[in-house]
Amino acid sequence: MLECNEITKTYGRKTAIDHVSMKLEPGHIYAMLGPNGSGKTTIMKMIVGLVKPNSGSILYRGVPVNKESRCEIAYMSTEPYFYSWMTAADVGKYYDDFFEDFSMERYLYLLERMELTPDMKTKTLSSGMMAKLKIAVTMARKAKVYLLDEPLNGIDLLARDVIIRTVIEECGPDVALVISSHLVDELERVVDSAIFMKEGRLVLMGEVEELRIQQGKSVVDLYREIYGHGGEA
Amino acid sequence: MGKLMKYEFRKTMFSKIVLLVITGVLEIVFLAGVFLNWDDGLGWGIIGLTLCAIIGIFYIGIESLMVFHRDLNTKQSYMLFLTPYNSYQILGAKVLENGISIFLAGCFYAALAALDLAIAIGYLGGLKELLEMIQIFLEQLEITITFTTVDSLLFVFEVLASWLMTVVTGILAVVLSATVLAGKRFSGLVSFLLFFLIAWGSSALMNRIPDTLAVTTSYLLSILAALACTAVMYLISGWIMERKLSV
Amino acid sequence: MEYNAAIPIYLQVMTSIKRDIVTGKIQPGEKLPSVRDLAIQYSINPNTVSRVYRELEMEHVCFTKRGMGTFVTEDTNHVVQMREDMARGLVQEFLAGMRQLGISEEEAEKLVDEYREKEKRKSGC
Repeated sequence: MLECNEITKTYGRKTAIDHVSMKLEPGHIYAMLGPNGSGKTTIMKMIVGLVKPNSGSILYRGVPVNKESRCEIAYMSTEPYFYSWMTAADVGKYYDDFFEDFSMERYLYLLERMELTPDMKTKTLSSGMMAKLKIAVTMARKAKVYLLDEPLNGIDLLARDVIIRTVIEECGPDVALVISSHLVDELERVVDSAIFMKEGRLVLMGEVEELRIQQGKSVVDLYREIYGHGGEA
Repeated sequence: MGKLMKYEFRKTMFSKIVLLVITGVLEIVFLAGVFLNWDDGLGWGIIGLTLCAIIGIFYIGIESLMVFHRDLNTKQSYMLFLTPYNSYQILGAKVLENGISIFLAGCFYAALAALDLAIAIGYLGGLKELLEMIQIFLEQLEITITFTTVDSLLFVFEVLASWLMTVVTGILAVVLSATVLAGKRFSGLVSFLLFFLIAWGSSALMNRIPDTLAVTTSYLLSILAALACTAVMYLISGWIMERKLSV
Repeated sequence: MEYNAAIPIYLQVMTSIKRDIVTGKIQPGEKLPSVRDLAIQYSINPNTVSRVYRELEMEHVCFTKRGMGTFVTEDTNHVVQMREDMARGLVQEFLAGMRQLGISEEEAEKLVDEYREKEKRKSGC
């Protein structure tokens, strides 16, 4: 459903993404793994058109990604990006204004589950609360592709469970979810496929249950093999 | 696109309210000056309102540039560029909102000036003689200026249109610095110089309008030329953004 | 539930469900949760749950009624059988572990007896 063909992105002399090709299919939850600076964020941003590749193409349902594909692809960035004047309710209103697949009802429900209230000002939220707000507003969309960049960053253990639960709820047979993280442990049982990125290149992509069956290796084991250390727990 | 414009307005709402409040206060000072024969108030009112109109309209344009710069160069940019709109629509909403704001502000201040003038003339009377004196003075200098309402309105519109053109020139410069020049050294300085180059080019174009034409026609031509330049620079900016912009 | 990340997760979940059936926590003929609900309950990928149900069906532990969901087998004999199989598996594992330590089956049996005696005395007084 989503296809990257030989995409490359350079910033000045630095190559951020180096001829990456991959295919994402509905009905799967993908972990996009790799240390900081390995290109996870850049790939996600290119899929929603925030970053334009220097070469290569990204196709959604066979068509180069454009404004229409953004109607069905939901991206959540690591950094907070809401306007400083906004409350949680304003954020919901904004999404409601621009995304047809957004459900205000579900948003309010998710806010409550994340122990947030609509009157909270985004300017004064702690980083953990902000992370939960971003998840709530993104997952309140009924998108076909979700790209979640480090959704578990800076979030306490209890909230992690809530987020993982929300992610599983949204995953249907016609939905593809990509979760980037360097918290490999947390994603181990939630994802069915893993994409390993290293220095802007895709080094391995595969189904994790198959890895366990055939090689008796966990995702953490593989991570250790590829990067020489076990990531951060 | 209405929704985009709504949020563009929301971003600049605060300063527009401040401008209105200041204008209101100065208007009260002016009216107090007229009705209470308070000469200082009258003077400060006139000076204040004039400055308010000029600086206010200037600031509306400048602020839209500042907002645009922020919308391209901070994380806030995701808010705009994640929406299911293309660069032409996103930029178009900005230019349209700003253009409407500038023209509405211009009309507002022109109407207020006309109203205040009418009040002052009606109540004080003295100003009428003043205006006649100016007219006589000019006639003595053998300069015949046929000063009609239509022409003065057109003059206001011409100023506003060329101001909008300057703002869009600024937008083009901001787009260039965030795209083609991004990551290069002195990109800020280069885009600043580019701004003056483009502004100089477009004003040179405007000066090609012959002086021999009647006042009304030349104003009309200038307005059309400014709006045409605005449109062309908007299209170029959108084209570059659509292909090159990475936020 | 704690997982061993190196062992296929579907196997671990299968064992957990079978244990629940054998101990009567889930009754014969009872309806099992939907794929999504079970995925949420165990915090695992829905595809893994589908696989769990598929494998359990192949082992005749449960069956699918079209449009109604997945149900535990009504055959109580099969549940008894399953219980024995699982117990046998544990014994096998235990003995294999002992063998690795160089302990014969007779010695292992004696060790178990001794252990049980000790435990009985401890709880007796």
